[in-house]
This record gives sequence, C-alpha cells and structure tokens, in this order.
Amino acid sequence: MSILVNNKTRVLVQGITGGSGSFHTKRMLDYGTNIVAGTSPGKGGQEVHGVPVFDTVAEAVEETGVEASVLFLPAQFVRDAAIEAAYAGLKLAVVVPEHIPIHDMLKVREAAVRHGTRVIGGNTAGIISPGEANLGIIPDIAFKKGRVGTVSRSGSITYYVADTLTRTGYGETTCVGLGGDPILGSTFDEILDLFDADNETEAVVMVGEIGGVYEERAAERVSRMSKPVVFMIGGITAPPGKRMGHAGAIVEGEMGTAGHKVEVLEEAGGHWARTFQDIPRILQEQGL
Amino acid sequence: MRLYEHEAKSLFAKAGIPVKEEILAATPREAGQAAEKLGGPVAVKAQVLIGGRGKAGGIKLAETPEEAARAAEEILALKIRGYDVEKVLVAPRLDIADEYYLGVTIDRINYKLVVIACSQGGVDIEETARKNPEKIHRLSLGIDEPFYPFQGMALAKKLGASGGDLRTVGSIIARLYGLYKKYDAKLVEINPLVRLADGQYVAADARMNLDDDALFRHKDLAEMGIEKRHEEGEMTPREQQAQGWGIPYLDLDGNIGMFPGGAGFGIMGNDFVEHFGGQPANFMDSGGGPKPERLAQMLVLLDENPDVKAIFGARFGGISRCDDFAKGVIMFLTEHGLSKPMVMRMTGNMWQEGVRLFEEAKKEHPELFEQVEIHGIETPIEEVAQRAVELAKG
Repeated sequence: MSILVNNKTRVLVQGITGGSGSFHTKRMLDYGTNIVAGTSPGKGGQEVHGVPVFDTVAEAVEETGVEASVLFLPAQFVRDAAIEAAYAGLKLAVVVPEHIPIHDMLKVREAAVRHGTRVIGGNTAGIISPGEANLGIIPDIAFKKGRVGTVSRSGSITYYVADTLTRTGYGETTCVGLGGDPILGSTFDEILDLFDADNETEAVVMVGEIGGVYEERAAERVSRMSKPVVFMIGGITAPPGKRMGHAGAIVEGEMGTAGHKVEVLEEAGGHWARTFQDIPRILQEQGL
Repeated sequence: MRLYEHEAKSLFAKAGIPVKEEILAATPREAGQAAEKLGGPVAVKAQVLIGGRGKAGGIKLAETPEEAARAAEEILALKIRGYDVEKVLVAPRLDIADEYYLGVTIDRINYKLVVIACSQGGVDIEETARKNPEKIHRLSLGIDEPFYPFQGMALAKKLGASGGDLRTVGSIIARLYGLYKKYDAKLVEINPLVRLADGQYVAADARMNLDDDALFRHKDLAEMGIEKRHEEGEMTPREQQAQGWGIPYLDLDGNIGMFPGGAGFGIMGNDFVEHFGGQPANFMDSGGGPKPERLAQMLVLLDENPDVKAIFGARFGGISRCDDFAKGVIMFLTEHGLSKPMVMRMTGNMWQEGVRLFEEAKKEHPELFEQVEIHGIETPIEEVAQRAVELAKG
C-alpha cells in the first residue's frame, strides 16, 4: 500500500488551463496518474489533454467523483482554491505554489482541519507513490516502488533520498514533500502517522532543515513509531538564522537550530544519517 | 519585511494606539530643529532595522537642541551590527512610571496567533521569560476567531492594570492585534508600552515585521512610503552583486564554490562538503526554474572569486529543467570562460536534453570543457562532493 495517493485516486488539477498546470497535467497523466478533472473558473466545458475542465470544485466532485487535488495557481489565489477544495470534501490538496501569504496558510489550515482535508505544502514538489500516481512536479526518474516511505521539506532532497533508496534496492512506498514555506498545511508527525499505519512501509526517512519548528513537533511521534525512522537535517554547518523579535524567541525558545533538531530526534529514537549514503547503511543495521 | 520604528509608529497612530509626536531627522541640524520644535529634553534614536540599538549606542538623551544635534551627529556616524544609520527619530523625553511588553506573533507549532504580555517591559524581556516565566501571559487565537474586548481586559488585568486603566490597556492590546491581522504581520511589538507619571499610556518603541508575500494587498503602505527593502546588514561586494542579480547568496570562508539547485540541497550540499573535509566558499540558491542567464550569473560569481579553488554543481531537475541548466553552463563557458576546475552532477527533469546539449557543445568547442566533469544519475552525489573536495585541494 501507499499513503495518500494510489493508482485509483481520482485526481483534480486546480488551475489546469494555466501554463504550468497544463504542462504538469501532461506529465502526471503520462506517469499513469488518474487525473479525471480540472478546474478553472470561467473555463468550464473546455478540455486540457483530454481532461474535462469545470468552473468549480463542487461540480468536478459531482460529475467525476474527484477525491484529491493538486494546485497550480498564482500564490494569491491559493487561499480560496484550497479552502474551496476543503469545502467540497476532498481528502487531499497538494499546494505546489510558493510565496503564499502566511495568514492565508493559517486560514487554509483551519478550514482543512474542520473539513478533514489533508493539505500538503505550499511550496511542495508534491507526492509520488511510485508506479501508481504522481501529484505535483516531481521528476519520476529516481523513484521505484518499494518499502520505505519518505517525507521531506525540500523537493530536491526528496529526489536525492529516493535516488539513494532506489539505487540500493529498497525503493519507496510513497514520497511526500511537505513544502518549503514557513507555515505548512501538514506536519512531519501527521505524515508519520500515515506511514506507521501503512503495512507496506517498513521504515521512514524524514528530512528536515534548519529553521522552523516542525521537526521538533515530530519528536514525540517519532518516539512512538513502530518502525525505524532515519532522519537527516540540513544546515548543520550553516550560520544561525535570524530570530523574529522577542516574541519569536519566547514562543519558539531554542527550536529552529539544526543542532537542536538532531538532539530531540535522536532522543526520540530516530537514527541520524549525515549523508544520503548513510541511509541504506542504517536501514541494514535495523534489519531491513 | 521589517519596518523602521517611525513607520511602525505611524501605523500605530492610524490604528489608535497612543504614540507621542516625534520627528524624523536625517542631519544633525534637522535633529536640533526637531528638538527645538518639541521643546524640553528629548531622546535621539537611531532608525535601524535591527534590535539592540540601545546597547550599541544608538539612543542618546539630550537636554537642549544643541545637545540633540550633537547626539544626532554621533549616532548618524554609527554602524549598528552592519547597518548604516541614515536617520534618527527625535522624541520627547517621557516621565515613566511603569514599563510593559506587548507582542503578537505566530505559534507555528499550534497554527495559532499568540498575544504575549509581560508586566516587565524593556530590553531584558527574553531573560524575564526564562527566569520568571510566570510573568509572561499569553492568549492564543485561531486566525478566524474574533478578538473580544473582554480578552484584552483580561490580559490587562494580568499586567496589573486596574480601574479605568483596564479598558485603556485592553483596547491597546485589541488594536495591536487588529493591526497585526490587518497588515499580514509576522510580528508586532510594543516594547515598552509605558505608563507615564500622569497616568497616560504610550507606545515608546514599535516593531513590526510584515509578510513580504502579502504586500500585494496592502497598497496603502506604498502610499505611505513604506516599500519593500533589503534587510541585510553589511554585505560583501559579491553579495551586493548577487543581490543585484536577484540571487540569494552568502559568502562563507572556504574554497569550494557551491553551485546548487534549490535551497534544500543548497543547505545540505554545504553540510556534505564539510562532512568530506572541504569548506564551502558560499551558500547560494538558484530558486525554482532558473533561466539560463541566471545560472550563468551564478557561475560568474564563483569563477571571479579568487578564494574559490573548485566549483561543485548539482542539479536535480524538478520544476527546473536540465536543458536550461546545460544552456546556462554553456553560456557561461562560452561568454565568460572557466578559470578553475568544476565538477557537477545533472539529472532529473529533461536530463536527456541536457546531456545532448553538453555533448554538442563539447564536440564543437572541446577546449571549453577541459576543466569540466559532468556526472549523471549513475554517480551518487556524495562521490561528486568528494571529487570537489579533492579538486579544491589541487
């Protein structure tokens, strides 16, 4: 099994008539992703690569039964589009655009939690369940169906990790890009929950980086995982970032440094990989 | 985007948060005139986009206009943590009875906005938070929840306000929160909010940090002269050059020029180089989907840096394309030329086309590629990083 998406998932592309929406729809279709609808307000009735276009998400749900969407829209339209997906009852919305206003993402998160929609991103490369479905902009070259789940904040790191797992024969169940924006629709711990419950995923690789609080938030979940968690943290050698005022320091304390993230994740039982090549070595040590 | 104190205070005034009349000055003479106009003793305060100015000598007290001019002269000559001081704010001296701290920011772990209040304002607020956490009061709210007046008064009460002050301080908190939401702020702070000897409350300092990505819906800021600015302190000439080209770039101390793809591997690639015994000369981020011109500029920055002994390139095309990557590298080799060894790995989106472009260019001008090694997906990135470390050692 994969998590979040598989070859049966009925997928919607929001913003399908735009340049990158159309380009990546073709790529995703070529991969075998089950894209059954697109939306673009005012352009209902058209077709893009043979996919019917609707004006609203609700219509797409009614006509085609879409369950998941991927968004290719300018950042200022993401709030409305993602909340529309949540209101229409989609289970998943993958937000590819970057530079989404922070307050907008807080609103998206509230609507998503209320409606039971999992929002991934913004600024994510997407999600791929190798051999089944590819939602977003992930180049499929490095991915192969297998037994390790990955979750990372960075797109390029997702590719490198999969490259390593594929090369060493482990392969991947699903690879999730959480996104690079400061406020994310989903967190590491929420994705770990899904991997823990997935019987085909035998281990998880999570990759965080300097800044933010999501790695720290995940520590408690890592300590309860029934399968090995290998983690990497980017920015061990980077100069410390700027703090946001006294209020930021009061709310976030010492969270955010790469060193602190490594410390809490190791304490929680995670296995620290310094390079990609450490990952298969650790998996082997863990009996995989 | 951080605002200057005087900018934040003009937004405070519009929102009904009490501030005193203060005057901005760009020269000692203007500062003297400002002090004269305000009458009485003043404080002269450096306008910089960074905290800690008081400890750096950026705030001086003056009894007379002459003293104010002298103070301004000294402050305008300062560099505070890399920032040139271009303006000072001349403010009437306050007769302070009490100092409080008020702030609003985001609690990213819990996806809430959080109001923070402390009965001890001033520069040591973070120490207070560590040593006397019971003095820090918080109110967490969802972005869609309203802020009710009673909530402001409840916080005011915790700060020790009583009687009519409850409503006064409560409304300052409510207005600060409203301002935070109205302008898509990441942070607003009043530190300190002071109670004067005559019982009035006034924001003695103001700090705001807005979300650059939301500026498109706050056109009124531009009308007030508040526009997007660069926040970096002192930059190296190369950092300035990179900024002019719109490339996120930082100089570091090492000798390996880092030519990565996105920020994710930009950060981790530096870790790898150090892991294998090398030292990166820079941090850089190409951004998503860079055009060939930008990639060529990135290489120019590295080639012209005499400290760089070898260049390490990495491209795993996702939203960015390997054919654009190859075009950028070829453009650089042809138009600028490479003066040091370069090793890179290219794979991902459109890699076949990238390889084809490189092969064609190499056939035509093999001399351009004498110091270039290009790897594909068959070589692990760690081996390429190690090769760069070797090349830098010479």
